Amino acid sequence: MSFEVPDDRKYLESHEWVDDAADTARIGISDFAQDELGDVVFVELPDEGDDLAQNDEFGVVESIKAVSDLYSPVNGTVTAVNDALADQPELVNEDPFGEGWMLEVELADDSGLDDLLSADEYREQIE
Amino acid sequence: MSGRHESGDRGSPYAPHTAEETAAMLDAVGADDVSELFDIPDEVAFDGEFGIEERTEREAERHVRGLLSRNDDLTEFLGRGHYDHYVPSLVDHLSLRSEFLTSYTQYQPEITQGFLQALFEYQSMLVELTGLGIVNASMYDHATALAEAALLAARVRSTDGDRVLVPDYLLASRRDVLENYTDGAGLTVETFATDDGNVDTDALAEAIDDDAVMVYAENPTTRGTVEENLTEIGDLADDHDALFCLGSDPVALSILQEPAAVGADVVVGDAATLGLPTAYGMGLGLFACRGDFVRQVPGRLVGASEDAADNRTYTLTLQTREQHIRKERATSNICTNQAWVALRTAIHAAYLGPDGLVDLANDCVRLADDLADRLDDVTGLQAPVHDRHHFREFVAHTDQPAKAVTEDLEAEEFAVHAVGEHEVQVCITDSNQHAADQLVAAFEEVA
Repeated sequence: MSFEVPDDRKYLESHEWVDDAADTARIGISDFAQDELGDVVFVELPDEGDDLAQNDEFGVVESIKAVSDLYSPVNGTVTAVNDALADQPELVNEDPFGEGWMLEVELADDSGLDDLLSADEYREQIE
Repeated sequence: MSGRHESGDRGSPYAPHTAEETAAMLDAVGADDVSELFDIPDEVAFDGEFGIEERTEREAERHVRGLLSRNDDLTEFLGRGHYDHYVPSLVDHLSLRSEFLTSYTQYQPEITQGFLQALFEYQSMLVELTGLGIVNASMYDHATALAEAALLAARVRSTDGDRVLVPDYLLASRRDVLENYTDGAGLTVETFATDDGNVDTDALAEAIDDDAVMVYAENPTTRGTVEENLTEIGDLADDHDALFCLGSDPVALSILQEPAAVGADVVVGDAATLGLPTAYGMGLGLFACRGDFVRQVPGRLVGASEDAADNRTYTLTLQTREQHIRKERATSNICTNQAWVALRTAIHAAYLGPDGLVDLANDCVRLADDLADRLDDVTGLQAPVHDRHHFREFVAHTDQPAKAVTEDLEAEEFAVHAVGEHEVQVCITDSNQHAADQLVAAFEEVA
């Protein structure tokens, strides 16, 4: 099956995406990742103001069959958390690149964006 | 089937594989010896003989019966954490049914709805008795539940802290387990004073600070008193962002202040006061906590749901907290529970019903009061030591050394705890009340 991999995102090998188009970057997990997990039942996210370091754990996503740690694709500070996921964790399955976003982050000067995979590189990884 | 299987040497009638089968399996995986399949460092490997004498089943039975016949047959008035209530025969008849008598864990809901429902009922009864939103399917015993409560307190607290405050009456056996569990988590266990069998709230206020993660108290206490300062203890804990953990049991909870109403965040205890006799040291760790800690609860939880046909169903739930799913991030390293004991407790509680449970609890107050009054009339005794309400048990002062008194009572075939140089502790319930007159008479002889 083919998975959605938007070209306007950058990716971490562990399947998190970052969208840095706006002032604050958004972070979530990929279509491939949500499919691998199965039905998501719980997402544990950090608090606003928490600092993130690239490749460090920032939370946990739990599905009916697995639990996975979430790794930050960038260095930065959390400015918003998607509260909708508390009551509707299924948004991660339904719309992983949209309504299922997890965090908004103010990027650090040394954000680490250049170290991430492009959409093409990520596509290659999951094929 | 009778006689010995002659198809190869098993070495024992209980071993499943013959020598030939073992050799074939080793050959298939390319190993010469079973030891090659394991990587056990020499320094921990047992290298010796167990020294177990070989006996036939009949000889073993005779030997064990001989050992058992050496037991004293004392009438026990012992409490201090182990309480004996009459267990109706119905509990045996139901719990010993083959559908229930299994060590199988209820992981597959499609084949174990009955047991899961029983555990859900056990949890639900204790939710009602504690007023707290979550009860797990049990820990090992009171001590392990208390230790898990301390670890939970450290996990859920938003700021650092490392002090666990316990009253001076905490049983050494419980404290040992608590220290064993908390040591690795970097917590320290500290004692605060009590006053006349209750928490000394001034001493607690003095002891508590923002480094305290949990305050523990009991109701009823180890010394049998009913704690009168629960709300103050809860408020003090709350003021310092510490959890208030209350130790109790299902019988006492039916008439004493509801833990949730006095600010308790966690309730621990031994639920096997119902469903099990006191022998053999088996317990049933009661663990209840506030609903918002649901993802931090240690141990198993049974949840209710609906199947595809809208039938009410039960299943182990939120297992991602558990070690078999996420070893390094689990809330606890307990990987089992006392399911069968919890079943017996649930059956016993259901047999009594709410009114029967309250009646039993009221008996525990009345019997202790009556016996204390009678012992107070005995020359050489003052009972109770504490000017408090009591539940099941009380401490009495002895003019003679307490040890001598309990040894003399033993000669009269009564077992009573000596708890101080001149203090004994007496526990009376529905299961030994028939011997109260004889106990008073024995005390008159020896005190």
